[in-house]
Amino acid sequence: MNPSLKFLLAVLIALEISFTNTWMVNVGLALIGLIIILSSRPNLKRLALLFFVPLIPAFALAFAILLQSNAGIHFALVLFTRIYAYVFVGSAATLTTSVSDLVMSLEQNAHIPSKFAYGFLGAFNLLPKIVSEVNIIRAAGNMRGQALHIWSPQLYFKAILASLDWSENLAEAMTSHGFSEGAPRTYFKQIRIRWWDWLIMLGSLGLLQVALFGLHLQ
Amino acid sequence: MKYSNAWHLRDIILLTLIAIFFGVIYWIVGPVYNILTVALTPVGLGPAANDILMGIWVMAGPLAGYLFKKIGSATLGEFLGAVVEMFLGGQWGASTMISGVVQGVASELGFAFTGYKRYDWFSLNLSVLTTTIVTFGWDMIRNGYAQYHIGLLIALFIIRLVSTWIFAGVLAKAIVNLLDRTHLMQSRTR
Repeated sequence: MNPSLKFLLAVLIALEISFTNTWMVNVGLALIGLIIILSSRPNLKRLALLFFVPLIPAFALAFAILLQSNAGIHFALVLFTRIYAYVFVGSAATLTTSVSDLVMSLEQNAHIPSKFAYGFLGAFNLLPKIVSEVNIIRAAGNMRGQALHIWSPQLYFKAILASLDWSENLAEAMTSHGFSEGAPRTYFKQIRIRWWDWLIMLGSLGLLQVALFGLHLQ
Repeated sequence: MKYSNAWHLRDIILLTLIAIFFGVIYWIVGPVYNILTVALTPVGLGPAANDILMGIWVMAGPLAGYLFKKIGSATLGEFLGAVVEMFLGGQWGASTMISGVVQGVASELGFAFTGYKRYDWFSLNLSVLTTTIVTFGWDMIRNGYAQYHIGLLIALFIIRLVSTWIFAGVLAKAIVNLLDRTHLMQSRTR
């Protein structure tokens, strides 16, 4: 499916189930998400994390409703299943799309200015470097006997300084490779929206309405 | 004072890098949220962990608005942070993107109310206030906060306000003060 439409669909589904209270629909969405996730053949560790990590907020919200409100078990169940629907629908989109495909689709199909598309892409590709930089900053602090915590301004200050440095370098590198803001571009990899992309999106949304209304009327 | 509103390639890269950095710092510094939630869940106060740590999540928005002084920078910074978090495998899945937009617009409002003319302690605090109110409204719907007893609801709101003020207000200001002393940002955002 077209990446832009896939993410739009995931967001629309998440938005709609935030306002509705039908736990069976949440379970159904989570199951569909799970099937899509399994079809992308994730590794076992990732799959296990997907099941266990949402348990914490899901239980927290459900318990809070049971103990701190009069809303009852049905609403607790709705909140519990809602978290799983969010996570599985979201992962169904992220695990089957690469960041670069999404960015290219956003540029070609959603017509985001190319400076934003390639700017984001360049920065996203620095992710591993960013992770190691944060570790370096903390290690450097430790060596001087200065523990940097999440509330230490120095930690963020040094991170922003690194960002300033890298953004300058990356922007210059892109410019020297011939990238110019606002210039018309041709695409090596063309991403199109086909009729079945629209069909899947509108069909899924239609089915969701039918399911929500059907179960609501029962 | 007049600020330029044009986005250039290096501003976009810088904003994205800062958003990713904030996401990663949160990621590395620890599973505080999970520990806190597990500890509070048996008494039914699990959601309080969300409010206690709210400031850390929403920090990128007011800080980006304050640093870049452009229309949309708070929204964009916060949204990008959320997208990164989702790709890293966040706990909230697809709703992370919605939260990102909600939090971003929420912190943007504070600067919008001053007509994007004031970038000082006042507008930062205004942004903290709008962030708290709007994100709390969203949690009343998404996480069922609206169902809680009124006492708990008020307590959660105050906890969230304090947390947002400490991180997105006081800490953001401290970071900007450090940056101001380097004079690196002024030469870039004229």
